[in-house]
Amino acid sequence: MRLISRKTLLLFFLPGAVFMGAFLIYPIITMVIDSFYEIGITGSKRFIGPDNYIRAFTAGGFLKQLMNTLIYITVAVGVETVAGLLFALFFELDYRGSKIIRSFMMAPLMIAPLVAGLTWKLMMSSSFGIVNELLTRVGILESPSGILWLADEKWSLLACCIADIWLTTPFMMLMILAGLQGLDTSMLEAARIDGAGLLQQVFSIKLPVIKPVLLTALSVRIIDAARTFDIIWAMTEGGPNRSSETISIIIYKTLTRYNDTGYASAMAVVFIAVLVLFTLVFMQSLWNPKKQDR
Amino acid sequence: MVIKKGEIWKSLGIGLSVILTVCWLFPYIYVICCSFKPGTEVIAVPPSFFPKVFSVESFLNLLERMDALKYLLNSLSVSLASTIIALLLGSLAAYAIQRSGAKLSVILVVLVLCLKMIPTSSIVVPIYELICNLGLYDTRIALVIVYAAINMPFVMWTMLSFYEGIPTTLDEAAFVDGASSLQTFSKVILPICRPGLATAFIFTLFLAWNDFLIALLLTSTNAKTFTVGLAGFLSAYNLDLGPMCAGAFLFSFPVMVISLAAQKYIVQGMTAGAVKG
Repeated sequence: MRLISRKTLLLFFLPGAVFMGAFLIYPIITMVIDSFYEIGITGSKRFIGPDNYIRAFTAGGFLKQLMNTLIYITVAVGVETVAGLLFALFFELDYRGSKIIRSFMMAPLMIAPLVAGLTWKLMMSSSFGIVNELLTRVGILESPSGILWLADEKWSLLACCIADIWLTTPFMMLMILAGLQGLDTSMLEAARIDGAGLLQQVFSIKLPVIKPVLLTALSVRIIDAARTFDIIWAMTEGGPNRSSETISIIIYKTLTRYNDTGYASAMAVVFIAVLVLFTLVFMQSLWNPKKQDR
Repeated sequence: MVIKKGEIWKSLGIGLSVILTVCWLFPYIYVICCSFKPGTEVIAVPPSFFPKVFSVESFLNLLERMDALKYLLNSLSVSLASTIIALLLGSLAAYAIQRSGAKLSVILVVLVLCLKMIPTSSIVVPIYELICNLGLYDTRIALVIVYAAINMPFVMWTMLSFYEGIPTTLDEAAFVDGASSLQTFSKVILPICRPGLATAFIFTLFLAWNDFLIALLLTSTNAKTFTVGLAGFLSAYNLDLGPMCAGAFLFSFPVMVISLAAQKYIVQGMTAGAVKG
């Protein structure tokens, strides 16, 4: 029985579509058109074909920012995954009060990324920051100004990664914990009786079980890390000397500071295309085999 | 012997998880501590963790420096209104997509997913131009409709996975009894979906509440939200970190409390679709 006719489907979808059309689809179409023009500050338009795209991919374009984004994704998501996995194994334990501990661990989960950025900016300040003070006290640093987290080109991107890791490792942990709930405990018991060690249990039984959840969590996180704006903006605004500038930041700066709408649009179109492509490929490979399993 | 070994591991694990939790909450507790320090102590060298002198100076400064209450109210009203719109329209659309077997619905699902992935930072300028053309710059209405639009794909995506878990026989029974599609949706499906709606509600509310970028571009004085006000401390009052901490604390404390109280829904929301597939 067909519960929803095509007409009803369209009718129900329409009100939402009006909103999304106006503020999601229309902007994208505008940008695709703008990306082929050179647009002056006064709004004068001149058609220049694919020049904006060529500019983006040549030296001085957004290749550095692309690299930064990739580094950011790799470091932040990599650490989050490993840490999330380890944490999940600890937090999986059941004991009196385990739920409360788990709740507290997840409490920062919903804090605004902007607040997370501000928090770490405060803590990583070179003179009165508590991070360097602690590092000095335990002997890792010789003086509190040993690492200029936010002012040193070598460290600025990593500093942003640390804030990201703090904010979202609980998310990874949560996803993995949810995946572990699907674990058949009799399998673990059998393995234990057969003499499987702790590591063997983790790698041969737990990891395969959580693989689908882990992959979904990874894809969500990779996209979110690629889009990160608030954290980096709060901490460094992309500086010093563009060392922590990611694609989100350069697009925003090109739009609002340099008023180069055409060029920014070209970068944004490439960025969105890559993210959408990634999502589609990922979902295809992840979901199809599972659907057939059922 | 075996059991004993297991117990050692277990207590080790418990100890570690407690330590981890404390470490993880450290930055947040530090911000809270800083917001109760007097201004000079926040930037004292060397920094101390706990306030030496307990003071509410930072909070008073915060209220003096910016219209904190107004910004908080803006944040609250805008996120509530946009969430309600996104929830109403999003859950309706998602229901139709999930229950219709038409090929079109598959396309719509993919479309919704792609829209969900769009980075806000790259589409804000066309949005800004549109809002200015509509004459809505620096109004709360602008924020409401933009948030509603941007968060709608998220609502749809969450609700899709919830609808999947509801047997279609319910819809069929309602259909046989002569209910229209809209009646089936509002009288039969929505009441069952309350947990799903609660999940989507909390998430969308936080997304709007936490947003910074859109409010930064679309507001200047009247409709300014708290995040934008907070970010103002970054540039204008560079060393005024006390009020900034106080603001960060005020702003995120309700979020922490709600996420602790409604954790069940948050866990559901994050794992929706991921676990069920």
